[in-house]
Amino acid sequence: MRLGEPARLQAVINVTPLVDVVLVLLIIFMVMAPTLSKGPDVDLPNTKKPREQGDERTRILVTIDQAGGLWIEDQPVAAERFGESLRAAAGDDPDLKVVIRGDARLRLGEVRQAMLVIEQAGFHGVGLIAKRAGAKAQGD
Amino acid sequence: MQLNSGASGSDLHSEINVTPLVDVVLVLLIIFMVVVPLLLQGYDVNIARTSADAVPAQAEESQVILTIVPTDCRILEPPPGEGLPADCRVTLADREIPAADLPARVAEILGGRPADKRVLFLAADNRLNYEGVLRIVDLAKSKVDDLTIEFITTD
Repeated sequence: MRLGEPARLQAVINVTPLVDVVLVLLIIFMVMAPTLSKGPDVDLPNTKKPREQGDERTRILVTIDQAGGLWIEDQPVAAERFGESLRAAAGDDPDLKVVIRGDARLRLGEVRQAMLVIEQAGFHGVGLIAKRAGAKAQGD
Repeated sequence: MQLNSGASGSDLHSEINVTPLVDVVLVLLIIFMVVVPLLLQGYDVNIARTSADAVPAQAEESQVILTIVPTDCRILEPPPGEGLPADCRVTLADREIPAADLPARVAEILGGRPADKRVLFLAADNRLNYEGVLRIVDLAKSKVDDLTIEFITTD
């Protein structure tokens, strides 16, 4: 009996390090997943006090890359099909808001052109996405 | 000896079990790391749909127009650092002012109006750099929080 008892105690696996490793892996994947799926990397403009624009899952995310190429969510779109692709992305929900992630090196005219098409597609107002100066944000 | 063994027993209990604490902290960490990158930050702006409704439903004399031209504010390239060039000047309601004075002037002109009349019309040259224009929008909004920015065409 005395010899058997220590062996029974050791038979339980210590799960704490296992749980730690799994949690860390979970964190890594949860952090990587949203940044991997949403369009090209752009260098967002730095400003001092950008306002909250809500959750990106409830917005139509339009990206304008450095070369002026248009993306809706993670799909590149030709400029002449931009309007109809936006309406298709909105589906039945006309109240969805469009936000533009524009590259900092763009000229205003290129962003204005996209804003005009967005207005003509029936959306009222857009959000221009920036990142707080000094903060590292998504898309870096 | 019995007192001693009692003391060593309470020694064992005096250590706090940190495992649940670590679990809770890790879960909070996960929640914040997931939520933060999904939150977008930026500026709400409007743009006139056609040249016909570029004329807003507001008496013309009460319109406040902010004009940015590349000759007064050289932001054709992304401005270096975090601010605007020191010599950047803009035209607000027909008066040319340094961009640094913009927050105070906008608050002075528009701050006293009812919230739905706080509209700033932005006439910015198409050749200007996008980041520079956003920094001017940021300045204009910095003291009047619910300011509506309306982009108008310049040509």
